[in-house]
Amino acid sequence: MMSIKLNPQELRNSDGIQKVCEKIASEEENVEKQLETLLARQCHLEAKLRSVTKALPNLQIVKTDAQQLSQMIAHTSTLAENVSAKVRKLDDARSRVSECQQRVHDLLDLQLCSEGVKLALQEEDYEKGAAHVHRFLSMDQTLLRQTADDVQQDCTAVTNSFSLLHKAAELLQTEVTSRFDEAVRADDLASVERFFKIFPLLGLQDQGLSKFSIFLCSKLQETARKNLKSALETRSADKRASVIYADTLTLLFEGIARIIEIHQPLIESYYGPGRLLTVVNALQEECDRQSKLVMNEFRKHRQLDSALAQIADWLRNASSSASSSNLSGAATAQQNRTDPKNLDLLLGELTIMHARAEMYVRFIRRRVQNDVEVGVPAEITRELLMDKLETMLRSSGLCHSMQALLGNYLQLEHYFMAESVKKAVSMDQLEDNLQIQQTSSMVDDVFFIVRKCIRRAISSSSLDGVCAVLNNACSLLEADYCSVLRSQLRQGYMSGYLDLTQAYNALQSSLQQGRLQASDSEKARLKFLAYLNNADVSTEYIATLRLSLGEEMAAALPGMTDRDRAKLESCLSGMGGVTASLRALVEYGMSQLSASAIKPRVSPWVDAFLNVSHILTEEEFSGYEANEPFVRNLVANLDSLLSSFKPSLTPTNYDTLVSILATEVTHQMEKVIAKSSFNRLGGLVLDKEVRVLVGYLTNATSWSIRDKFARLTQIATVLNLERASEISDYWSSEPGAIAWRLTSAEIRHFMTLRTDFRSEDIKRIKL
Amino acid sequence: MLESRSAVLKLMQNQACKDRCIDRFPPPFSRQFTPYRQHDFSSAVREVCSSPRQPLSGLKISKAIFLGDVAVGKTSLVNRYCHKVFDRNYKATIGVDFEVERFDIIKIPFNLQIWDTAGQERFKCIASSYYRGAQVVAVLFDLSNMYSLSHCAQWLEEALACNTLQPIIFLIGTKRDLLSSSAYKHVEEKAACLAKQLGAEYWAVSSRTGDGVHELFQRMAALAFDMSVLRDLNTLNTTVSIGSQPLSVKPTQKKENFKCNGLHCQ
Repeated sequence: MMSIKLNPQELRNSDGIQKVCEKIASEEENVEKQLETLLARQCHLEAKLRSVTKALPNLQIVKTDAQQLSQMIAHTSTLAENVSAKVRKLDDARSRVSECQQRVHDLLDLQLCSEGVKLALQEEDYEKGAAHVHRFLSMDQTLLRQTADDVQQDCTAVTNSFSLLHKAAELLQTEVTSRFDEAVRADDLASVERFFKIFPLLGLQDQGLSKFSIFLCSKLQETARKNLKSALETRSADKRASVIYADTLTLLFEGIARIIEIHQPLIESYYGPGRLLTVVNALQEECDRQSKLVMNEFRKHRQLDSALAQIADWLRNASSSASSSNLSGAATAQQNRTDPKNLDLLLGELTIMHARAEMYVRFIRRRVQNDVEVGVPAEITRELLMDKLETMLRSSGLCHSMQALLGNYLQLEHYFMAESVKKAVSMDQLEDNLQIQQTSSMVDDVFFIVRKCIRRAISSSSLDGVCAVLNNACSLLEADYCSVLRSQLRQGYMSGYLDLTQAYNALQSSLQQGRLQASDSEKARLKFLAYLNNADVSTEYIATLRLSLGEEMAAALPGMTDRDRAKLESCLSGMGGVTASLRALVEYGMSQLSASAIKPRVSPWVDAFLNVSHILTEEEFSGYEANEPFVRNLVANLDSLLSSFKPSLTPTNYDTLVSILATEVTHQMEKVIAKSSFNRLGGLVLDKEVRVLVGYLTNATSWSIRDKFARLTQIATVLNLERASEISDYWSSEPGAIAWRLTSAEIRHFMTLRTDFRSEDIKRIKL
Repeated sequence: MLESRSAVLKLMQNQACKDRCIDRFPPPFSRQFTPYRQHDFSSAVREVCSSPRQPLSGLKISKAIFLGDVAVGKTSLVNRYCHKVFDRNYKATIGVDFEVERFDIIKIPFNLQIWDTAGQERFKCIASSYYRGAQVVAVLFDLSNMYSLSHCAQWLEEALACNTLQPIIFLIGTKRDLLSSSAYKHVEEKAACLAKQLGAEYWAVSSRTGDGVHELFQRMAALAFDMSVLRDLNTLNTTVSIGSQPLSVKPTQKKENFKCNGLHCQ
């Protein structure tokens, strides 16, 4: 409003005055407008004021109401406080009254009890007496005495009752204990149980349980002694004689299981759940003692220790001779060595024993766990109790002797497996005709033995045992078995005859002439092939063995943890190492075979190529095409070679042989082609020859070996061109074009073999 | 914790944990007490591992066995490293325990199988079945119990008898925390002497404090990895030569007597 500043300068002339005047006018207008708007709002404001004045009296009412309400609430709260205080008092009083009542009851009961006990003792009704004492023990004695004191009456009577009851309780305790002992001595099961039930009533749970456990142990001892005696008396002709100690051990375990089965409900109902562990502890001690007795007899009668000593000797020899020789060596002390067959039954018994003990431990663990879960609510104490059980079981004599037993078993099993395999190798038999049996007898025998041993280990239901036997089996196969195969293959396939058919014929004729001994070299050759097959079949056997064992173990050892499974898996994968060794053996054997039976023969056959000129006239060409003398001969030769081997080799080995042959033939062919020269028709003939050859060899095997001929066919293509320049149609870097196995230099070189290609033409080609 | 307990899970991991990655060759306990004098991975191993197309097949696994008298602390050492725990209470191992540790060594995944054997005589048959094919043999003794040191040679001899290839050998003194430094010096002298005799690398560790444990296992993994890659390269070469020289019997024989020259070089 005061924004107009009057500048005296501006007012000097009329123009200035005019301007100022205009400014003032516009300012006035603005002010007027503002005033108008303010006025316009007046009525609105007035209306509002009116409504406010209307509401004022109402507010007054609300205020008074609110005050009233707060007063009321305060009042109610004090009231409620008063009432609740009274209720609390009432509650107090009531609880005191009931306490009082309880005490009065107690006092009355005390009287009754003391009288009842007297009577019961007179009548020898221990149950009733114990029930009275139990009632008495549940009373709070000091409080009762105080009450009696407070009431100032009958204090003496109460004290009397107390002393009487105490005395009675003591009397009952000694009485029941002696009666119990007496019943135990008399072997009176009913009385034992009767007095067993009384102990907890007298507050003597622990004593009762320990006494009862001792009783159970004595029963156990007795039956165990009887069982062992009858076991010792078993005649060797008996059906169960070979496993009689395992049977005895089983009977012991079954006896314990039955005791727990029968007496657990009794303990649970009279002593409450969660008490089984105490009994199990005592029973385990007895079990340790009894199992030890059985084991001692077992060791003595089965001459376990002498067998073990022998095996320790054998192991020492084996490890000392391992560096110098393999299975065939170490023939010293062979005579007084145990026949592995004799150990068979013993091994079986050992595994049964171990398996039974495992089962027993599992039973105990499950029973105690169930009992603890019902009886102990707190998780921490529960875990503590289970830990206690575990340490008890771990440190128990039974577990220790079972671990020692497993160790013994593993030693024996190791011996059994190694010696049996050695025996199988030494008794190795070869069919004179490989067409009937492509492998020698030892493959089946060795794998039968290995599988048997591992299966037996599985039946011991000890994971560590299985793993150890698996490890031993793998090392046996990889070291000893493979070295037997290797030493045979190392001798090579001696090729005195030109091929096997001749060898067969010679063999057959010598057999017909009654000279039953085939010549050594023939035999050696057959043996070589058989061992080659042995190695191949062994890889198959290992694969199936691994598969089937994996399944069997999963079924036989339930409840394996992840870690157990990983352990087992890594032991099983040790078989992979054996497979690798066997594969290397097959490869080695094949290279031996190729060196002595394939290479020397293929090379003269292929060299015949050089005798045929590949620079042909039309006439020669048609004559040649009709006969195809070279390739027909070659195929016929190859066919006779292959067919002589085919029935004697396993399919895999045969396929490998064909592939080796194919490599050799193409290799030789390349060589002779490089030494020859061709014209157009000669190239055509070559192309045909190669086709026939490739066709024959690819049909000879189930594997795809066409790839092996890629170079050869490409060489034929190059030599079969119409014109030198035609090659650029084939040589192309585009995708989908022929993947050349020949380098451009090689292509040029092969093209120079064509007498009709001019060298400048060849040079001109861009490759 | 749960994850660290499962051997299978460890095998399946894509990558090793950070403290299981080894890029620089870990040093020995002391340069004086080791027959393995190399300062880095063998050059052939470096070359193979850095080339984009690795000729090494599959996941590398090496087997380490832990031997020694009863209660020298084999399980404690393994548990300290694998689970980062130490339990004062002695609990005898039954048979063998099995752990797998996954490493990334110069970016190559590598698994170390740790077979923790029981020291008690009655488990010997189980434990000894694992001796064969061990790339690492760790013989442990209790630094505070000289008697346990005197048995180490026997333990090692038994383990070596089952192996055609020479493994990497460690002689490890445990319970370092129980000894004063002067007492320790005395023991170290004897142990180092034995280590030299056995051709073993000497270490002193404490599973209770964790002293030296991590370094030991790093060293173990790196040496085992180096050796196993070298062996692979060697077999790769020999198998090739079998095909090309079929009549020579030598290559397969050589393989058996082959001693890792990378480890024995100066």
